Amino acid sequence: MSTALVLIDGNNFYASCEAVLDPAVVGKPLVVLSNNDGCIVSRSAEARALGIPMGAPVFQLRAELERHGVIVRSSNYSLYADMSQRLMATLETWVEELEIYSIDEAFGLLHRPAGTGDLTAWGEALRHQVRRQLGLPVAVGIATTKVLAKVANRLAKRDPRWRERGVFDFTAMTDPDPWLAATAIEDVWGIGRQLARWCRLRGIADARALRDMPAGELRRRAGVVGLRLQQELQGRRCLPLAAVPPAKRETCVSRSFSTPISTAAALKEAVATYLCRAAEKLRRQGQRAGSLTVFVRSSPFDGTAFYANAATTSLPLPSNDTAVLLATALPLAERLFRPHKPLRKAGVILQELSPITLLQHHLLVPQTPEQQQRREALMEVVDSLNRRYGSGTVQWAACGLAPAWRMRRGHLSRAATTRLSDVPVARA
Amino acid sequence: MPEALPSVAPLPGPAIDLQRLLIPDPARTVLLRVGGDSMVGAGIHHGDLVVVERHRPPRDGQLVVARLADGFTLKRLMRRDGHWLLVAAHPAYPTLALGEGELWGVVTHAISSFSP
Repeated sequence: MSTALVLIDGNNFYASCEAVLDPAVVGKPLVVLSNNDGCIVSRSAEARALGIPMGAPVFQLRAELERHGVIVRSSNYSLYADMSQRLMATLETWVEELEIYSIDEAFGLLHRPAGTGDLTAWGEALRHQVRRQLGLPVAVGIATTKVLAKVANRLAKRDPRWRERGVFDFTAMTDPDPWLAATAIEDVWGIGRQLARWCRLRGIADARALRDMPAGELRRRAGVVGLRLQQELQGRRCLPLAAVPPAKRETCVSRSFSTPISTAAALKEAVATYLCRAAEKLRRQGQRAGSLTVFVRSSPFDGTAFYANAATTSLPLPSNDTAVLLATALPLAERLFRPHKPLRKAGVILQELSPITLLQHHLLVPQTPEQQQRREALMEVVDSLNRRYGSGTVQWAACGLAPAWRMRRGHLSRAATTRLSDVPVARA
Repeated sequence: MPEALPSVAPLPGPAIDLQRLLIPDPARTVLLRVGGDSMVGAGIHHGDLVVVERHRPPRDGQLVVARLADGFTLKRLMRRDGHWLLVAAHPAYPTLALGEGELWGVVTHAISSFSP
């Protein structure tokens, strides 16, 4: 039995998601903007072909975007998260084990009887089906280790000889060397900027050179991590698949404000909003928090003296009840507020997370099991309503209604797969 | 005297799960809203929700959603003389050629609601 490691990821994932349920944008140049409609974070193939740069602040490109008729979209996270879940659920049927690595990429483990030929055809079938059934273009990298699968995936996506196919299979190559040599050292997974510079100074410019350099030298500079990376390039599997993500140790929700906040009331609304989201995350992960941090900061660029501060408090009893957490967080927000320091960003971190299965009774916090059950049932109802009808359907009054500081998302597409009122129309 | 035993109700069987009945493969199923009355002859009305499965290969005679240049359209798929046609279930609507359009999915259910 031989095993292969594959890396599957979405091409221009956000931009591709925008086209899945909106026929009007299919085949058109489209860009997706970051939070607060700041920079371009995803481009459709057509926008890429126009030479619109990634990461560029959108205000610098307004004229160019308009001239080319480029469609501009704000980040529609509920749509991308839903499409991501669909993608991962589909991929699970294609591999023995799946490690979800990010919103749009996953490693898969594949067992095949030895000598059953290469997996290129398998990769092409996968790619075709995902395209057809989900409407998402993906690239497939096939190899024997994670690091090589990353290299393969990059070739499948970027190399003009493989881009059309969208699949690159190291296991089908008699000689992997030219492909490793065509991969710049900076593009090897796990090589940071510092380490890349160090390699370059030693004449190590590509993946093949890294694979073949003296192990001792690499180890002295980059430790075991560097060594593992090298061994993976040699085809020795050192990075196992983490099929189940490790339980999260903390959960953070923070955002920049579209307009600076300069009143305590507005800050409390913002903190309440982020806290509600963090608490919902916690419940989804089946966890409770033991302590909580609120942080705020002003803009480092607006000319006034920079202000950043944070406050942490322990909860009397670990909780994921929004009301309990709000009662703890809002006084912290109040304490952090300074009248003449306009704030640009705030956030909430929930810490000391423990699984809800660890039931704790506390003598000082009288809550009967019935009371607790009722609270939990309430949270469940709130969460399921927000999941079904869109986040913010049911919210705590502390979050405020339509506040001015809310993230700017002027070009948001519809929550076409997660909100009933946004379901697209089929003409009949 | 022994206390009366509480009456024992039969345990309920597993409930009918509409979600699983209508959408067995949620990852590859999409809901769309019907706009227009060209399919009333097939029992699909304006305002209905339709369940569209994208992983089913569309066959001759099935109700399908096609993606045309100007949007989604719901029609019956028919093969005539080697061409795929999109046929309405209402005499006032013309038959469309699929042409460059994409067969997007197969309609498996229509949900009509009679209360607001």
